[in-house]
Amino acid sequence: MSSPSRTRALMAELRRSLGEDDPMPPRIEPLRIPDPPIRVFPKPRPRSRYADEAAAHTTALVGIGRVGTRYATPVVLQFQAELAVAHAAVAAELPDGWADEHGLLPLRSRVGDHREFLLRPDLGRRLDADSLERLRSTATKGVDVQPILADGLSAVACMGSGLALLEHLTAECTQRGWTVGTPLCAKFARVWLEDEIGQEVGCKVAVILLGERPGLGTGDGLSAYMVHQPAIGKTDSDRNMISNIHARGITPPDAARRLALLAGSMLEQGTSGVSLDLSPLVAELGDAGGVGLREPQVREPLVFVGDDDGGPE
Amino acid sequence: MILEPLLPTILSVRRIPDADPALLRAYGADPDRHRSLGLITADQDDPVYVALDEATKHSGVDVVFARSFWAGAGSASGKLSGEVLGVLAATDPAEIDEGLRAMIRCLEHDACFYGANDDGSIAVFPHVIPSLGRYLSRESGLEVGSPMAYLVAPPMEATVALDAALKAANVTACKIFPPPTETNFAAAWLSGTLPDCEAAALAYAEAVVDVARNARQL
Repeated sequence: MSSPSRTRALMAELRRSLGEDDPMPPRIEPLRIPDPPIRVFPKPRPRSRYADEAAAHTTALVGIGRVGTRYATPVVLQFQAELAVAHAAVAAELPDGWADEHGLLPLRSRVGDHREFLLRPDLGRRLDADSLERLRSTATKGVDVQPILADGLSAVACMGSGLALLEHLTAECTQRGWTVGTPLCAKFARVWLEDEIGQEVGCKVAVILLGERPGLGTGDGLSAYMVHQPAIGKTDSDRNMISNIHARGITPPDAARRLALLAGSMLEQGTSGVSLDLSPLVAELGDAGGVGLREPQVREPLVFVGDDDGGPE
Repeated sequence: MILEPLLPTILSVRRIPDADPALLRAYGADPDRHRSLGLITADQDDPVYVALDEATKHSGVDVVFARSFWAGAGSASGKLSGEVLGVLAATDPAEIDEGLRAMIRCLEHDACFYGANDDGSIAVFPHVIPSLGRYLSRESGLEVGSPMAYLVAPPMEATVALDAALKAANVTACKIFPPPTETNFAAAWLSGTLPDCEAAALAYAEAVVDVARNARQL
């Protein structure tokens, strides 16, 4: 049974058809945990200026201090709250009909349900019979670039910034004079599904945009995997990828531009993956070369311990 | 975000296993058949009426009393009053327990108002009952087991929406409660096949949202 209440299912349907549905989970109010009666603070140690500077540019768990041999309570609580966000993102499912509503051709892997999707990556890499039939009869064949939007491990990310990324990428490709394939949306998809889809439509370059494994505090990140001459049997060494596509990482327009540059060199050199020579692109890819300094990153607090001003004096 | 459930809060649930005959009579029960009472108050009246009906499908209880309080939960007489008191009666206290559990399940997972605007200050109850229990079938005059759309909204919204619901599907109005009811809402009970009732409820909710968005046409 999909919903315990017929009326609630009807209203959810109406909400979607009125365009009032928000795919993101509701904002959770940060928890407030009162201070314990006695708090023993560790002796503050002078912090290294270099470490502070480095920590400001990442949301990774560095420069978080310690209490004895353990993490401080706020760090542990924040960690657990962020883990919960990640769990929720993994558990989210792309609603049936979402692809249709957004003008994408709906496809589905051989996976039966969400649990099977998590447990059987092999099934997520192949299309089911209906989808294969639909793809063969509907999709445009022999294109230069075939973009595929997919849920991957975070349907939240796919519904969040997936469409924007797809639009930007299509625009970038058309602008360069390439033909772009029918926009597709695959449910329960793993990265390697692009091999079968690309092989069927006979495209030169296939790129799958899918929700990435949620990390701490990022349930809404997308990754893009690109492969030249897709065919079943291609491996990860044949792919180039960009990860961390979300508002706080690489923004969709920026990611679309980089993907188009990658696709350009694949079309030019006729290969992809480790054998693709990216050295001519260093100047254009800029940060993608990994030399630039990222903007300072702020970790969004999900839990507050003690008073607003950071605890008693 | 609109059309999100506004969940009812159950404020109190009490049992009287061996009620006094005078009390039984006063609340509409029959001392010859009934001995135990189950009482519930909540801050939304219509979900409770649906839940009382649900209880009659799960156990041998009769709904002997169900009344809304004047002007609704916003003017409650106490923090446990809410806007409705529902009373189940049965011979066996175990039947009461089972009935109350069915009610709580229904209030937590099924019957609820929905917000028709972003802050939820306009509420709509476009509820479809796939199969009527003994309570609402008696009140509506429909057969036990037939479907019914139970539609509630504030006066203006309800009036416009009822017209839309009646025109949207092959349904007949078995009862219309024009405003003001006790809680100053307006309601209607529509009967038809289940798909028709669902279509009517959808049209009703959509019309309420439309009135909420365009309150003044002139």
